[in-house]
Amino acid sequence: MNSSKDRQLTGAPAPWRWSAQIGANLVIAFLVLPILAVIPTSFNASSFISLPPAAWSTRWYGAFFADAEWRAALWTSVQVAIMATVAALALGLPAALGLQRTGPLMRPILSGLFLAPMIVPVIVTAVAIYRTALDVGLSGTRIGMALSHAALALPFVVINIGVSLRGVDRRWQQAAAGLGASAWTVFRTITLPNIMPGVVGGAVFAFISSFDEVVVAVFMAGYGAKTLPVKIWEAIRIEFTPVTAVAATFMIVLAALLFVLARVIDARRQRALGSKAAQAAAGEDKTAHQGVPA
Amino acid sequence: MTDSGLPLRFRGATKHYGSQIALHPTDLEVAAGEFLTLLGPSGSGKTTLLNLIAGYLAPTDGKLYIGDREVTNLPARSRNIGMVFQNYALFPHMTVAENVAYGLTVRRRPKDEIARRVDAALAMVELAGYGNRAIQQLSGGQQQRVALARALVIEPDVLLMDEPLGALDRQLRRNVQLELRRRHEERRRTTLYVTHDQEEALILSDRVAVMRAGRIEQIGPVTELYRNPVNSFVASFIGESNLLPARLVGQDGAEMRIEVAALRHTLTLPVTAAPMKAGLADLPLQVLLRPEHLVLDDAGPLTARVEEAVYLGELTALRLRLDSGADLWLRRLTDRQISRGQELRVNWQAEHVRLVPQA
Repeated sequence: MNSSKDRQLTGAPAPWRWSAQIGANLVIAFLVLPILAVIPTSFNASSFISLPPAAWSTRWYGAFFADAEWRAALWTSVQVAIMATVAALALGLPAALGLQRTGPLMRPILSGLFLAPMIVPVIVTAVAIYRTALDVGLSGTRIGMALSHAALALPFVVINIGVSLRGVDRRWQQAAAGLGASAWTVFRTITLPNIMPGVVGGAVFAFISSFDEVVVAVFMAGYGAKTLPVKIWEAIRIEFTPVTAVAATFMIVLAALLFVLARVIDARRQRALGSKAAQAAAGEDKTAHQGVPA
Repeated sequence: MTDSGLPLRFRGATKHYGSQIALHPTDLEVAAGEFLTLLGPSGSGKTTLLNLIAGYLAPTDGKLYIGDREVTNLPARSRNIGMVFQNYALFPHMTVAENVAYGLTVRRRPKDEIARRVDAALAMVELAGYGNRAIQQLSGGQQQRVALARALVIEPDVLLMDEPLGALDRQLRRNVQLELRRRHEERRRTTLYVTHDQEEALILSDRVAVMRAGRIEQIGPVTELYRNPVNSFVASFIGESNLLPARLVGQDGAEMRIEVAALRHTLTLPVTAAPMKAGLADLPLQVLLRPEHLVLDDAGPLTARVEEAVYLGELTALRLRLDSGADLWLRRLTDRQISRGQELRVNWQAEHVRLVPQA
């Protein structure tokens, strides 16, 4: 079925193929260009946001790092995102493992609960978290911010790990247990290595979702946990200088770097498998003449 | 560790899934060193039985023993059982050697002992030198042998195999069957083998248990199941069979008279032709005529017309249409050309006829 579809597409008249290509590129441009537009504005020499900049300069990068508040906000964001990622993984990994073992009646209910932070409007979650955080004294703390972000990031972790768990054959685990492995050993030596792409993917999503989260952050920041997006938001309300563009550029670059990193890790894994395979193929040729007695 | 593994006992072992019964209360004894095949269609409870032994399932009721030890509630990891899965379940992220070593690694054996035993196990399955390969680079037959090496390297008390040859092509399957049989004869180890391929069961087993709908219908040496099936299900599952509806019309002493409408004959059979003596009159019955027991004989009592002649090499299978309209299969050595439409006479020996309850 797939191959006939492929034939149809490649067999389409050239003008159709070109226009489909152009359309696809336009959509990508529509999505990406407004984001990328921030980067040149951060290199603007003047004090106003303008595109394209009349003169180029890195003065606003200097200004960013000269300002203790901006530096603190960046550092807070990084700390919060790391803590949120660790917490989301610590909760999301057992959740995904448990969901897989849950019966067909409870599973949709439970996974609905785990995905709720993604479905419930963020402002509702934000108000609820803020109200609770006030009661327990976590408002305006980095820990409090990290925990709220962990709750928001949980669906990403549960989904990513859940998907990769589907590629884990239950019989691998049975075979390992039958060979004498304890439940923990089975997890460590069989399950975890096979869901690593999902764990890394979930962690990247969790980190980025925390790093650029603004709604909950505005409620929770107070004076003690002002993250970069909160600082940007405050700065824009007072004066719209290219420093905000610098901050935004940092966020874009970090997000892009993390995704690239995740891809590189995945590609290296694939290559490792591939080279093992290539070696094996070469070995096969060498030993072929010996024959393989059946 | 004995050379022959340990015996295995089921005492009323049962498995329910809610209201569904996967295994009815089952008693089963497998002797040390015996090769028992579980034969049956899918859903007959073979794999359930195997999983109960392996410890992947817990019985709803009943008890299991391996040797003198009750293992009913023992986790799989403490049972010292080797299992070869249907699709091998080899660990994809490990090399061949790492797969085979797994059971020894988790037992924390010394490194040099692991290396030595893995090498020996790979040599045994004729994969010496394949240790560093990736699993994905092996052929199906090689993967099957890695799975076997992985299961055997831990010196299991019982070896379980769940349709281990299902994924292999026919020629390779035959080779591996003979190899498994040779290996079992060299070193007899208690083995339970699940298959739905009766030929495989014939080649490999000391005894065969035919299963249906969560029950063992009959258990015994293959020849016994072939000669004296307890019902028509077993008869049709072991060997080829012609089964014709029959009625018990008279019984006196050592003989019974059976009316077979399809043959338009009343057969006189010894009472030993039926698997039981009492209660026959109340059961729907069938006579069993094996295709290889029917012979062409000009003096035979039946006339038949050839509907189909299937050449099978040294054998020819004939589908014969009787006057009653019923069909019979007949198998004979190919010695002369027989073609469709030909009229023939058919005979058999009374000692080969069996009377079985319909099931």
